Amino acid sequence: MIILNKIISFYYREYKLNLSGFQDILTNIIFFFVSIFIFIFSIGPDKEKISVLGVGIVWTLLLLSSTLSLRKFYQDDFDNGNLLIMHLNGFSFGFIAILKTFSHFLFVQVPFLISIPIACVLLNISNDKLIYLFFSFVVGSFILSCLGSISSSMNLMNQRNFLLGSVIVMIFSVPIIIFSIGIINMEENFNSLISILFGILLIVFAINPWASGLCLKLSIENN
Amino acid sequence: MKFLINPSKFNEIADYIFKPVLILSMLLFALGLLFSFYLSPNDYQQGSTVRIMYVHVPSAWLALLTFAIMTLYSIIALAFRIPFGFIFNTAVAPIGAVFTLICIISGSLWGKPMWGTWWVWDARLTSVAILFIIYLIIIFMNLSFENRIVREKVVAIFILVGSVNLPIVKFSVDWWNTLHQPATISKLSKPSIDPSMMTPLIIMTFAFMMIGIAIAILRIKTEIISRKSNLS
Amino acid sequence: MILVKDLSIERSDKKIFENINLSLGSGKIILLKGKNGSGKTTLLKAILNLIEPSSGAIYWKGKLLKKHLYDFFNHVTFIADKTSSLSKLSVHENINIWKKIFSSKISNSQIENILQTLKLDTFVNQKVNSLSFGETKKLELLRLIIENKKIWILDEPLSNLDDETIDVIGQTFEDHRSKEGSIIYSSHQESEINVSEEVIL
Repeated sequence: MIILNKIISFYYREYKLNLSGFQDILTNIIFFFVSIFIFIFSIGPDKEKISVLGVGIVWTLLLLSSTLSLRKFYQDDFDNGNLLIMHLNGFSFGFIAILKTFSHFLFVQVPFLISIPIACVLLNISNDKLIYLFFSFVVGSFILSCLGSISSSMNLMNQRNFLLGSVIVMIFSVPIIIFSIGIINMEENFNSLISILFGILLIVFAINPWASGLCLKLSIENN
Repeated sequence: MKFLINPSKFNEIADYIFKPVLILSMLLFALGLLFSFYLSPNDYQQGSTVRIMYVHVPSAWLALLTFAIMTLYSIIALAFRIPFGFIFNTAVAPIGAVFTLICIISGSLWGKPMWGTWWVWDARLTSVAILFIIYLIIIFMNLSFENRIVREKVVAIFILVGSVNLPIVKFSVDWWNTLHQPATISKLSKPSIDPSMMTPLIIMTFAFMMIGIAIAILRIKTEIISRKSNLS
Repeated sequence: MILVKDLSIERSDKKIFENINLSLGSGKIILLKGKNGSGKTTLLKAILNLIEPSSGAIYWKGKLLKKHLYDFFNHVTFIADKTSSLSKLSVHENINIWKKIFSSKISNSQIENILQTLKLDTFVNQKVNSLSFGETKKLELLRLIIENKKIWILDEPLSNLDDETIDVIGQTFEDHRSKEGSIIYSSHQESEINVSEEVIL
């Protein structure tokens, strides 16, 4: 019961924190839409072309804009010592990583779901494809959260080169992009592809607490 | 076998074997180039371009082998707290990157006359390119962290996570339908390569391996010395 | 309750300190004194099991602390030399979050009293980043009361505070000592707080 209470209070804190910084998330979404405009301007307003490229564009931009928010993943809590307080409050570092990953998924990735239907209208993606895109994004964005947790915890002590974290996320998200795009282009194959995506999710989710927990521990010890 | 995990023992052994290894690599290179240019036949399909194979295949093997050894050393270093693994990782990453680069460049030189393009987005090529970027990230990580203790462990963790890519590179030709030809040499079945081509390939592989070991010895020794001077 | 035995710590093969012995019983206040870089924070972190000692051990109630880590954490408040309050939220919201996180049973009127004695009551609805440095420090020390734990481990609690506040803190320490609590804190400046043991690093 005590641990449940602690988890609830953890999410209360995250909720308050994200509510006060909600404009950051909104900025991410605006970044997403502005880049869609730029893509359309650079390709040209040809309807056929846009609807062919649309799904790929949406996925690329979702990936890029979710890497924008990685800086806030652990860095703030690390700098003001809240990670240590959470640890002293009875959470192991691996468990903190799991909780933080869920919180990132809830407060940063889920608001993006709203923007997907609008993007589909803008990019001329048909409605039946929208459902597949939605599905693949829900699973894929959780994988992105896990990868973001790993890479941003690796980068905690790295003051010189922040972009490295984004590069790490992008390099590991290559298989996600491949399979997510595959889901949309091959509807008859939907089941097998989403199982592969789920498989990747489980692997990454299993690695996440180990890798990020170790990195968090290292950074806090040597800070 | 203690010299594989102990810096001072490694220094002793390295002093003995450095010169022989260097001379051996030179000899093997001379022999291998002789074989691959003059003593091996043309391929009946690919003509003379097949000789690129004698650079391409060994460098690809060694790129993978280097990463595999780095993964092994990361496990040893993290699990048993043996700092030599970290020294090895920092020293050897650029060598692996160079092997991967040689593999990519020679491959695209081979691809131009055979496939008609420098680069194709098929699974083998893409996964090797990702391997190259992973090597680059390891090198950048080594450059950009200030705290050494954090840096070496984080790099080891990254290598472990990145080693997921190894089986993808190895088996990409079997799992997906690719333009890249499947492996011609494997242990389980009889190699589908003529012995006259096999000899220069093996010689070149050993030549690459020896030059790799020679450079690795130099780099590991520098790394050990720089660490010692940092401490005192 | 805490026994530090022959602790020495090396970091990158440089000795920070050697053979430190400490015993922190109930009703005891220990002051760690020393210059900058003498390893005060390192010792406190070692007690919290954040740094692996190169030799020696730390015991908690007679057992190895490493093995009973979370039981130990249940009795400890640690305040680092940082502001852990969330700067975008107001003082009131921060206190609310802390009360939830530490599931504290302290009443609102009690907190108001403390805020008044610390002269923070006029800032309750202001955001933390508009407070001065000393005021955030006072807010930080409020966590001691909210967490209501037995052992207090404090890193530089007296820096950036005026004499009046230091008196209040000394009073709080005295109260805590009379309730059989124990305190270990580091400081590089002189103060009039009554300590039972001084360790010079």
